[in-house]
Amino acid sequence: MQIFEYNGSAVVAMVGKNCFAIASDRRLGVQLQTIATDFQRISKIHDRVFIGLSGLATDVQTLYQRLVFRHKLYQLREERDMKPDTFASLVSAILYEKRFGPYLCQPVIAGLGEDDKPFICTMDSIGAKELAKDFVVSGTASESLYGACEAMYKPDMEAEELFETISQALLSSVDRDCLSGWGGHVYVVTPTEIKERILKGRMD
Amino acid sequence: MTKQHANWSPYDNNGGTCVAIAGSDYCVIAADTRMSTGYSILTRDYSKIHKLADKAVLSSSGFQADVKALQKVLKSRHLVYQHQHNKQMSCPAMAQLLSNTLYFKRFFPYYAFNVLGGLDEQGKGCVFTYDAVGSYEKVGYSAQGSGSTLIMPFLDNQLKSPSPLLLPAQDAITPLSEPEAVDLVKTVFASATERDIYTGDKLEIMILKADGIRTEVMDLRKD
Repeated sequence: MQIFEYNGSAVVAMVGKNCFAIASDRRLGVQLQTIATDFQRISKIHDRVFIGLSGLATDVQTLYQRLVFRHKLYQLREERDMKPDTFASLVSAILYEKRFGPYLCQPVIAGLGEDDKPFICTMDSIGAKELAKDFVVSGTASESLYGACEAMYKPDMEAEELFETISQALLSSVDRDCLSGWGGHVYVVTPTEIKERILKGRMD
Repeated sequence: MTKQHANWSPYDNNGGTCVAIAGSDYCVIAADTRMSTGYSILTRDYSKIHKLADKAVLSSSGFQADVKALQKVLKSRHLVYQHQHNKQMSCPAMAQLLSNTLYFKRFFPYYAFNVLGGLDEQGKGCVFTYDAVGSYEKVGYSAQGSGSTLIMPFLDNQLKSPSPLLLPAQDAITPLSEPEAVDLVKTVFASATERDIYTGDKLEIMILKADGIRTEVMDLRKD
């Protein structure tokens, strides 16, 4: 039994023109049984930084709680929100603290940095950061997501087109993965608004 | 005392990806030309596509030594068929033969991931996809090999084949025209080459139509 495939997950983030999109599936399973069809994998840290966590669901929730705590502390001390690249370094450090007994999660971090420049990155379960200019993927459906995103992505897409692209990539990829699916959760973030949408896909 | 396991395996994986798409009067079969072992490249110019009959073309990824042996068996069985029936084997017939040949070695399989493409008796494109032990299905399109998990979701998105479970049975033919299908194949391989280390070098495309077979070659990234 593979521990990373215990709950099933799919998370993807894409960069657009002064905006980004982050999407995940909604299934929570225990191996072959589906337990929930509305599991939240993507969480808002603040208005301009989102984190999506794939992997073992208990670690997803624990890690999220720890990160929210650390960010609130940062807000109190610095009297401002964290920049996405700073937040990514924080996540990386927290994961590496547990180098020999890691959190079994693969985070996907997406945010708007200075001058509304979109930032995305992913890391492995012990904090090795991978910055990308186009898209990042994570979860049991990651290989399918790589193929779909590579074929569908183009640079400098506007918010609406980015939403369509990331949704199509997510839905076609999770349809080829037994452990993820049951709809999708997409956040499209521009400097002025955050649009949250639920996708209806194959419910199986 | 745990059971002792062999530290030598009779199998190796030479990598590569194969794709086939069936059209209303054509069939497109494509494969990359990279042959690798582990992290090394053995050659950049190895054809994974093999014509078995006038209307049946086999493309296989996996362990190429087993693929060669499999092709030899099928070729000889086809020759016998031609002597006995005075005609070439049709694609659906070759599909069944391939399945039986693979299952024959159920307990020491051919490490071959096959896609058989061709034209059926009515001249419509058909694609059959296999696992290593001969389980097969007639589909509208398929991908096998190291890049298959990257390619299949995108083909699903573009071609939306009807489920084989639907009643009444719907044709698994893509509505695309032949140039569109060839373009789709080129796009799909370019994407797979970016993210799969075992796919690349060159792309070989065979287009089967009633009047004959046409071959195209396209360069892919060599890294």
